[in-house]
Amino acid sequence: MTNRKRLWTIFGPVILAGLLVIGFICLPWSGHHSDLAKREAAVSLSPLVMKNASIKTQALAKNQHTEYVPFFGSSEFRRMDRFHPAVMAARYHHYRPFMFGSRGTQSLPQLFNMVGMAKEMNHGKAVFIISPQWFVKNGVLPVAFKFYNGAYANLIWLNQANPASRYDRYTARRLLQLIGSNGIVGSAARKIAAGESLSGWDKFQIQSRIRLLAQEDRLFSGIDASHNYENKIKPKIKLLPKQYNYQKLIREAKHDAKAQTTNNRFGIYNKFYASTVKNAKKRLAGSQSHFSYLQSPEYSDFEAVLNQFCKTKTNVMFVITPVNEKWEKYTGLSLKMYEQATAKIKYQLQSQGFNHITDFSNMGNRPGFMQDTIHIGWAGWVDFDRKVAPFLDQPQPAPKYHLQSKFLSRKWQQLKPTAKNLAEFDK
Amino acid sequence: MSLIASLPNISAYGTPSYFIYLLIAILPLAIGLYFGKRFQWYEALISFVFLFLMFDGASSVQGISLLIYLVYQTLLVTGYYRYRKHANNKYVFYITTFLSLLPIVIVKFTPAMTGHNSLIGFLGISYLTFRAAGTVIETRDGAVNDLTWWKFIRFMVFMPTITSGPIDRYRRFAKDYQQVPTREHYLDMVQTAVKYLFIGFLYKFVFAYFTGQVWLPRLKEMAMLHAPHLSWWVAGVAYMYSADLYFDFAGYSLFAIAISYLMGVETPINFNHPLKSKNIKEFWNRWHMTLSFWFRDYIFMRFVFMATKKRWFKNRNTLSAVAYMLNMLTMGFWHGVTWYYIFYGFLHGLALIGNDAWLRYKRKHLNIKSTAVTRGVGRFITFNFVVLSFLIFSGFLNQLWFGR
Repeated sequence: MTNRKRLWTIFGPVILAGLLVIGFICLPWSGHHSDLAKREAAVSLSPLVMKNASIKTQALAKNQHTEYVPFFGSSEFRRMDRFHPAVMAARYHHYRPFMFGSRGTQSLPQLFNMVGMAKEMNHGKAVFIISPQWFVKNGVLPVAFKFYNGAYANLIWLNQANPASRYDRYTARRLLQLIGSNGIVGSAARKIAAGESLSGWDKFQIQSRIRLLAQEDRLFSGIDASHNYENKIKPKIKLLPKQYNYQKLIREAKHDAKAQTTNNRFGIYNKFYASTVKNAKKRLAGSQSHFSYLQSPEYSDFEAVLNQFCKTKTNVMFVITPVNEKWEKYTGLSLKMYEQATAKIKYQLQSQGFNHITDFSNMGNRPGFMQDTIHIGWAGWVDFDRKVAPFLDQPQPAPKYHLQSKFLSRKWQQLKPTAKNLAEFDK
Repeated sequence: MSLIASLPNISAYGTPSYFIYLLIAILPLAIGLYFGKRFQWYEALISFVFLFLMFDGASSVQGISLLIYLVYQTLLVTGYYRYRKHANNKYVFYITTFLSLLPIVIVKFTPAMTGHNSLIGFLGISYLTFRAAGTVIETRDGAVNDLTWWKFIRFMVFMPTITSGPIDRYRRFAKDYQQVPTREHYLDMVQTAVKYLFIGFLYKFVFAYFTGQVWLPRLKEMAMLHAPHLSWWVAGVAYMYSADLYFDFAGYSLFAIAISYLMGVETPINFNHPLKSKNIKEFWNRWHMTLSFWFRDYIFMRFVFMATKKRWFKNRNTLSAVAYMLNMLTMGFWHGVTWYYIFYGFLHGLALIGNDAWLRYKRKHLNIKSTAVTRGVGRFITFNFVVLSFLIFSGFLNQLWFGR
């Protein structure tokens, strides 16, 4: 074989493969998602839906024949009984929830999730479920953050970040803490954190990466096939009474709860109790007595989320969830501490004009309200719907938010929320 | 300084785009080699540029440490080389070796002593230490007869392999480096390089992505839910971590070898189907080979020679057992001074001793023929032992039990 021929046998396939890949990527893929795909994505709770933009932006775009409203939360969305918000909305309301949340989707993953659909959220409404359990000593876990957040969202955030904003400097710092300082994301985040503007070259690099990732997103986002809607939501719609009647619903919810919580004294769903609690029960006794949700960087992460709501002028209802009181008495979690954490969260919301708050934090002892140890279900979902649906169904006056960056301070993160401390912080 | 700190920091082989820059940069070099020329100055230039990009920005403190370290080791090794030409006192050799190892000893012990990382550390210090200390030993043996400061530095900071190996030897490297491969041979090397690059892409960017970024965090999270108790998830973590370690490291090694080949240097391979190992000894001939051969040649063999010469042990088996344990414990310490690295080394030492004992016992008392079944059983035991040891090595148990 001549040397020239050998060079071709070595590099020919590589060149061909390269051309094929470039050609494939450059084709003008429309990336259109069908109504069915959006309906599935809305309850898929998949990290891919959060990380990418194409499905969620298409679903939440204005003037669609199905009106999706973003619901932000965490693991409670997985409790898909027949009173789940997606089922209730399909039966009784004109909107459909588009749900973002699984275990570990705390404030920061949600912030980066929102940044990817800022345009679609502009002047819209949203529901945000806060669990006081997020507010642990170290805040969101780096693994969880990385699981729900990717380079695409980071770059979109960096592209619009303003080094003069204390909020953006804070977020950049947190980003560095959570994902490290490697690569273009790291170096750009370092600049923002230090209050420096990105150079033209930085912007160029970021934007070309965004273009490439957007193309990837259009190409591949449709692949992740979830069947939650078909399997878990749709069959339950017809199990609800035709006409909305709160009294009837709450009665049925409590009835369901009673029938499905028979193998334990805590009011925990039988299946969950058998699979998760039963074996661990002994060692869990008293195990949460030292838990505290009072001091956490999560308070400032949450503030960054509020800033994003303010930027997009989103009218948002906050729902604060309870814990199963019987269970928490058993594990020793301090309900007083829980109450204080709720007070701190509410203080942060109300002092900045976020006044649509549904506080369920003291409902953990109501029959059928909780589906397991920390997640609402059955009657909890019925009451959730009762508060949320009117807010979404009826027009609301535009909110007036007035953000205060002092909530980004370490002082606030570490503040023990007694009445005196809160009053002093106010000054 | 602030300019350097603001520059982007590009870690080696981290992203597909890194390969585009790197391959464009070494293209003139490859064309030169094809036509029988080695552009030394150009190679030095691109090596410098890519090293600079690795150690600038947020890592610039590391970059300075690297520079000081290089000057230090070069003075030491060239000094010893000059000394060795006319004398051969063993104490001078011991002191030189000690001084050569001193930085890494400081770097490895600092976290255990003070709780934070040493200032003089940088990414790749372990691998540079192997190269430097290996050269000192080769010089003592009289095997190095052509060493200049420039050649030594080129060997030390040979760009493709600087941060994580494979660990080359000075003598081998210098020989490659002085000659230009024939066109025929260079084309063979290029062909291998292309193959290795693509297998590397598959390992590092596809397999290691799923194992390390998608599945391992999930499994760890599930396992942590039961902390500090063991659950089946921990077994999942063990297997997944092992798979990730292999794909990540083997992929990285393939990149380093491929780029070396394109630059006309035949860096030795690092992995040779470790899954096929029928016993733990074979495993160490197939897994992270350049490291285990380094330890074999410079620790195990040296110790065995010395102990034999001085008749420290009556029994040959005791001697090899002690040598195995010394070898693997040193490797454990080299990884870092934490209980799990050291315990990992200890376990492997024990396994090597046990393996030898079993082979002796088998030869003497049992009549087992090697069949597909016995080989399969051997592979199964070896694989699962290795996975268990990697679980310890990963430090995950530390997190699970002690929350760190």
